[in-house]
Amino acid sequence: MKVLRIAGGAMTPFNRRKDGSSWRDWCLAAFDEALRDAALEVADVDALVVASESDFFSLQLNPAAMIADALGLHGIRVQRVEGGGATGHLAVQAGAALVAAGLARRVAVLGFEASASHLDGASVGALYSLSYDAWSEGESGIGSAAIYALSARAWMAETGATEADFARVAARNRQNARHNRFAHLPLDVTEADVRASAAVATPYRRLDCSPLSDGAACVILAAPGDLPAGAGRARLAGMGVANDRVRLGDRAAPGRFFAKRVALRAALGQAGCALSDVGLAEVYDSFSGAQLQALDALGLTDDVLAAERAGHFTAEGALPVNLSGGLLGQGAPVGATGVAQVLAAAQQLEGRYHGLRPAVPPRFALVDTHGGIATLCAVSILEAPR
Amino acid sequence: MKRSLRLDYTLPKGRLAPHFDALAEGRALAWRCVCGHVAFPPGLTCVACGARDGQWIELGGTARVEHRTDTPEAAWALARFDGADTAVMVRIKTPELTTSRGHLVPPEEDAGLWLALEETEDENRSVRRLE
Repeated sequence: MKVLRIAGGAMTPFNRRKDGSSWRDWCLAAFDEALRDAALEVADVDALVVASESDFFSLQLNPAAMIADALGLHGIRVQRVEGGGATGHLAVQAGAALVAAGLARRVAVLGFEASASHLDGASVGALYSLSYDAWSEGESGIGSAAIYALSARAWMAETGATEADFARVAARNRQNARHNRFAHLPLDVTEADVRASAAVATPYRRLDCSPLSDGAACVILAAPGDLPAGAGRARLAGMGVANDRVRLGDRAAPGRFFAKRVALRAALGQAGCALSDVGLAEVYDSFSGAQLQALDALGLTDDVLAAERAGHFTAEGALPVNLSGGLLGQGAPVGATGVAQVLAAAQQLEGRYHGLRPAVPPRFALVDTHGGIATLCAVSILEAPR
Repeated sequence: MKRSLRLDYTLPKGRLAPHFDALAEGRALAWRCVCGHVAFPPGLTCVACGARDGQWIELGGTARVEHRTDTPEAAWALARFDGADTAVMVRIKTPELTTSRGHLVPPEEDAGLWLALEETEDENRSVRRLE
């Protein structure tokens, strides 16, 4: 694949907006800051890929055209990408594909979602339940938490994972988020706090669940020759996507996120790196148990539970995971989520991440995102600038 | 700025309509592929062999709960219906019961599959109910 750099990027704070600002304001802020970070001008951008999960949240159909207009981009290639929770990450890969195919030279990938402030939580929950099979699960009144809980139950039964394991993840990601000035939930909470929080869907409690957030994030993708800074930024080295059966009951093992492994193999093959070369990961922790299920599926260690209990995934561990705080800590404005994951991983590899960092930046980082319940899985491998 | 939408959809179920029509009556209509794989709920393509041909068959409507989650208001489960090769998400009609077998009943306030659990773990009870 053509060498492709993440030329720059930026994100707004992820939170529940109470300041009267609009999603168009957030998009403008993330885009302008990303251009500054990449040392580029608006006129340098020849394609815009917008990531937005649902017009039910923005109440704007064809949002890509509207955003391009708001940003002062005209007469260029504009498109929108969607894939449930994976929307932002899929948009990054779609933008990269435009560069790789020679259809654009400098692509802005801009993700946003107004998941928190536009609608009440119950309405958002009802819409999210349509992310599964809307004709079966979606009609039964079940919410995301209960669907994830059923998958977690299956994984617990197979592996011996406990609620304490989930609570450790939930508390750690919130603690990680305390170093991240853009985070929605930078909470000083312990495992005991997680286990004492209100029951949502057994085994999950309130603090096991990621929040609904507002916000935007943007990255600029280009080949090194098309960038003023040349090769000084992280390389998007490998990209994979794979899907699984939509309904959990149709899967051979409803606790295992098999499609992630398929996507990972494709990404590793392109990147020309081995799984053991990956030294940092941002994974999709929409629920605490889902983080462990993701790590299990990705096969980043032989025994994920033993590794989790031994501190393998902490900032000081062999494979730091979700130093941004993940969805649990940083937040989850859906379209922006995957873009922000890629941005965090890139800045970690460049040694300039603003939040919690490992002692030494690794050479390779992994980004994992999914829609549904590991139904549509995107994995990317990023490489440090050399 | 405030904005309110009320959307009343009409959603034809097409080839899968017989399954949904049966569910409304509390009957479990599954799809048996030409390869013998029984899908409940049915899909348009067989997961086992990729074929699209087959026929509707009616299951007895009894099921075993494989995994369960309880929310403050309700309970759901992944359950496997007797005679089906796939499991399915069901809403539990009787969340106060924690038994593992039940039978399909017509949906209540929400659509979808509703499972009434047996009062005891008597393995024969659900079979007798069919008679």
